[in-house]
Amino acid sequence: MYVYLYDNFLKNKRYDSLIKAIETRLTDYGIAGKIIRLQRYTNCEMLIEDEIRKGAKNIVIVGNDVTFGHVLSRAASCRVTYGFLPVGSENSIADVLGIPVGIDACDVLAKRRKLFLDVGWLNNRYFISQLHIPPSDIQIEYDESFKVGSKGQKMELVVCNLKPFVWSKAGKKYVVHPQDGKLEAFLRPVVKTSIFKKEQFEEPSIFPFEEIIVSSRKPFVVETDGNVSKEIKVKIKLAKSRIEMVVGRDRKF
Amino acid sequence: MFKQSPETLEQPTQHHTPVRHTQHEDDQVETVVGPSVVVEGDFVSEGNILVKGTVSGNVKTGRLLTVEEGAKILANVKAGEAIISGEVQGNVKVDSRLELTASARLLGDITCDILVIEAGALLQGKVSMNGLENMNKNEKKVLRRTKKTIEEDIESQMEE
Repeated sequence: MYVYLYDNFLKNKRYDSLIKAIETRLTDYGIAGKIIRLQRYTNCEMLIEDEIRKGAKNIVIVGNDVTFGHVLSRAASCRVTYGFLPVGSENSIADVLGIPVGIDACDVLAKRRKLFLDVGWLNNRYFISQLHIPPSDIQIEYDESFKVGSKGQKMELVVCNLKPFVWSKAGKKYVVHPQDGKLEAFLRPVVKTSIFKKEQFEEPSIFPFEEIIVSSRKPFVVETDGNVSKEIKVKIKLAKSRIEMVVGRDRKF
Repeated sequence: MFKQSPETLEQPTQHHTPVRHTQHEDDQVETVVGPSVVVEGDFVSEGNILVKGTVSGNVKTGRLLTVEEGAKILANVKAGEAIISGEVQGNVKVDSRLELTASARLLGDITCDILVIEAGALLQGKVSMNGLENMNKNEKKVLRRTKKTIEEDIESQMEE
């Protein structure tokens, strides 16, 4: 049995025709199912657990990167197969998973090519796309073997799981492979701050890792999949083969 | 007419086990230590390492280690291959090829298979190369054999 979780933004009229076409294609394949519309404060974990109890075997997320992160960051612990139908803009994760945006995603879903994906784990919660710490006075301890700091400057930290890290200065794009058994930390010290308070960064340092501890004397901001919190010490690690996901043939890993 | 039953769709289920480093074997993200980043402690990596900043601790990798101009490593280094253009204060042990460019400064002993030193590189330390050890062993073997054959010849002559 299939359950489809629609993001709230799909209520917009401009998606009407696409959603109808997707639903028709799913019916043709015989994989249409129950539709649930997500609200801002929907508890996805409870919702999915409830649907599993009612007999759901496949949960399909319909929306963009934000929807994907919002659902899976809470429901990664649920033992069910996940699918993804990317709709609209901001769909970089779909590209990594090899799922085309729009109606063709139904074909990928119908083929049911399944893989187990790694996810990030941060202070008792999962993150799916990226973790971002804006420039702060942080120190990082990697795999309990070495420490990384900067020469008196603030540093920005981005930990990538499924969402690619794009460094625009050299026009170089790092596509992060979720199946490589490691997370990648991109660390950029602030070189200088201009008059308009726009920070200029040094080229990034890259460290693949399985576990890091980020600490600071002052509280620093941590952004993950739409969640923002302030922390003093954060433990980030890799949860291996956590999510069973239907992926496309053209995936980037 | 075109409707397919869920059973027929779910039959060709391909359940893949995670495959690591397939098409991205060569372009995998390497470890990069930026110019104003300081690393303290034993720095171990499975992939290539590019050092542009300072590392105060042992560095170990099975692949290529590149130390750029202006970078510093203040401890022992062990790598599969190495290209050094910066400063290293410690012993360097490389499995295959070690290259010291013109701007390299190396204070420590070297062990490697192939050594390339560009004019202008500064090196202070003992150099030992693996190939040479094998040659010495071969020479010793030849000497032992010749000794044996001489002894056997003498013995045969005595018997006659």
